[in-house]
Amino acid sequence: MRKAKLFIAMTLTLSIASSALIGCGSKGAESTKGEVVEDTYNYTGSAPITDQEGATLSILASNSWYSTVDLTSDDASIIKEVEKRAGVNVDWTLIDPTTYTDAVSPMLASGSDLADIVFLPDLDPNSSYIKSALFEPLDEHFDLMPNFKAYLDANPNIKASLTATDGHIYYVPIVGLTDNYLPVIMYNQKWLDQLNMEQPKNLDEFVTMLKAFRDNDMNGDGDTTDEIPMSVTSSETAKNLQMMFGPAFGLNLQDGFYVDDKGTVHYSYAESENYKNYLNFIHGLYEEGLLEMEYTSLTRDQITERFAQNKTGVTFDYSWQMSQLYSPQFPEYDGTNGIVVGGAPLSGEYEGSYIGLNAVKGIFGVTTDSKNQSLALKFLDYAMSEECQDLYVWGIENESFTVNADNTRSFTEKALSDNLWLQALGINPPCLPYHNSVEATNVLLPRWHVDVDSNLATMTSAPWPQIYATQEESSVLSQYLVDIQTYADQMAVAFISGNTSMDDFDSYLSTLKTMHVDDIIKIKQEQYDRYAAALK
Amino acid sequence: MMKKSNVIKVTKEEKRQLFQKNIKRDKYLILMFLPVAIYYLIFCYLPMTGLIMSFQEFKPGNGLAGIYTGEWVGLKWFQQFFESAFAWQLIRNTFLLSFYSLIFGFPIPIIFAVCITQIKNKHVQRSAQLITYLPYFISTVVVVGMMTNFLSPSTGIINQVIVKLGGEQINFMNSPDWFRRLYVISGSWQTFGFNSIIFVAAIMGISPDLYEAMRVDGANKRQQVWFLVLPMIKSTIILLLIMSLGNLLSVGFEKVYLMYNPSVYETADVISTYVYRQGIENKNFSFATAVGLFNSLVGFTIVSISNWFSRKFNETSIW
Repeated sequence: MRKAKLFIAMTLTLSIASSALIGCGSKGAESTKGEVVEDTYNYTGSAPITDQEGATLSILASNSWYSTVDLTSDDASIIKEVEKRAGVNVDWTLIDPTTYTDAVSPMLASGSDLADIVFLPDLDPNSSYIKSALFEPLDEHFDLMPNFKAYLDANPNIKASLTATDGHIYYVPIVGLTDNYLPVIMYNQKWLDQLNMEQPKNLDEFVTMLKAFRDNDMNGDGDTTDEIPMSVTSSETAKNLQMMFGPAFGLNLQDGFYVDDKGTVHYSYAESENYKNYLNFIHGLYEEGLLEMEYTSLTRDQITERFAQNKTGVTFDYSWQMSQLYSPQFPEYDGTNGIVVGGAPLSGEYEGSYIGLNAVKGIFGVTTDSKNQSLALKFLDYAMSEECQDLYVWGIENESFTVNADNTRSFTEKALSDNLWLQALGINPPCLPYHNSVEATNVLLPRWHVDVDSNLATMTSAPWPQIYATQEESSVLSQYLVDIQTYADQMAVAFISGNTSMDDFDSYLSTLKTMHVDDIIKIKQEQYDRYAAALK
Repeated sequence: MMKKSNVIKVTKEEKRQLFQKNIKRDKYLILMFLPVAIYYLIFCYLPMTGLIMSFQEFKPGNGLAGIYTGEWVGLKWFQQFFESAFAWQLIRNTFLLSFYSLIFGFPIPIIFAVCITQIKNKHVQRSAQLITYLPYFISTVVVVGMMTNFLSPSTGIINQVIVKLGGEQINFMNSPDWFRRLYVISGSWQTFGFNSIIFVAAIMGISPDLYEAMRVDGANKRQQVWFLVLPMIKSTIILLLIMSLGNLLSVGFEKVYLMYNPSVYETADVISTYVYRQGIENKNFSFATAVGLFNSLVGFTIVSISNWFSRKFNETSIW
């Protein structure tokens, strides 16, 4: 009996020991981070940020979007330069951006062993990380962040977006372009020229053009059936079709919510008139063979291949791809005139526009548990200063840019010809709070593209702003909104393909009602009112 | 306990001695088993304690302790799931996908095993087996990629054949009607060769004397299969059937996730993909845990019931 007990006891001890070992593993890692060091250095916004020798920081962020580029390597001179000037050694943990959400959400959920500075997997719309006090309220440390404070004072709408419901500011943003280089409609200019057509301005002209593309032998191979008039994707992640046609029907299908002239919030997918018209129109395109069956699974690679074979007439994609991806597919493209060229937004019953993007593209926070908190705050502040922005945009002098006689700058030959090299250098590094600038993008692109873009940038409308939710709001939103979006996506495909008849549109609307869409709209209205108040 | 009188009485002391003796005798076997036990303890039983999250409001950021210290909310998440417009669709899809996979996927390896063991030529037999079980080692990503390519309405070979034969293009991957068929067919294709190995082994284990005896009695091939082979592998079949019944509500997440898109949610969205979207993408960890727990409970109930039936009528059971 005693031996049996001994055996059981041993098994138990073993299992407890093993679980204790797991616990020890994480604690061990924590204690190597070093002791809290009180920093007395007076930082005023310019480098260096500390006078300590060998100061180190850890940062968890996203790696480059280019899969062959690794920003932790020694080639990333821009990032190394920021560290050198700041006088800080950064211990980077960079994760591939395509899996960033999946990898980082669980790390944040467990909340232990986080880096000093963390790039968040989303914009924390339900303020779940704020509520769990994972990140330090930055406005309480504005004495350490002079650059950030000045920036917020100069940009009230970004400040309004970043202000949480408790009035604090928790995050430092990556700022993107709002009106330039948006996704736009692109036409195969060769085909338009052959038909002596102008770029269409409204839906009727557009459909006429598509039919001409469909019925004629546009690529001149003697076959009138191998032309695909329009190659536009609509998937969960790329709502291109919705962005292309939504505004013509007075909808913002990209963000879902929009506000009308009177300040009333609407949910695009629950609009009885306009959304029905939109679905009818797209269903018509589908029936006519103008929108292909595969539109929900079409990829950018497939579209590129079609342009390479001169098989398609229209697409919708980020403006950047016009001169950087699609036009070069044509052998006769020489860079002076575009072949795949962006056009004005289509008008329908409503005047067309391209819906702009929110300036805040991503956010960084300083963790509450950080042992190097003041250093982290200062580093983040320095990393978003004008001085660093200049680095992010232009890179290193005499490597990626040179200063001309008249004191203007231009990119070097190498920077202009070898985009991958420029990316590897760390231009606009996604692991630091960079700001996109129109000027720096313009110099990278051919003249014709810049002209098209500056014209299209005048035809934009405001997006749904980024606003934080309160605790009650976020619990309602997370309970209902995901299901509503899933249902709306699912039904949109069914209506467009004709699997569900348009006669059932009313029952679709009433199902949305039972899914509490009205509660959601009410919350969004309150949020918008709050945002409008914060702007004043 | 009831039949005490019929059994030789074993004293506590004797029991203890027997136990000791067994341990002493099997000490190396027990040692070999230990890693497995520890594996299950750490990766299956320890995480189970986290199920408590499904009755709590989980807040991120409190480390491991956060799992056990959330605010108590009772059955809120379960209520939310069953009130959701998708609960029924999810349960139905999950059940039907596995049910069809079982109905069509389970008999094929048995039939295949019976057929292949009747082949006299060893070389033909071996190569047939090799060819059929190789697809098992192709990763799901590749299989789904192959399907997308072959079945594409514009460039896929299958649709080109259909059009050449005068038919209409079928949008296989985006049509809710086709999803289940594609899922089941590709699944069976991939696994039937591999799954047949166990049955082939069972059939090979039948003593040649029995075949001989049947032949002497004048039984033909069909009768041999019906009256000898199938009864001999009955217990293997039942055992494997019960095990697959246990997985009835746990369809493979990866494959559905790779194959689906909003246009086929109607038939393709299953509990595990919903849990993924809610839990990882939308960070409703507690809600996702509750839905996962519900899934496991139903699975467990089905295994218990089928095991009970099997024990009652067949004297074969897992426990």
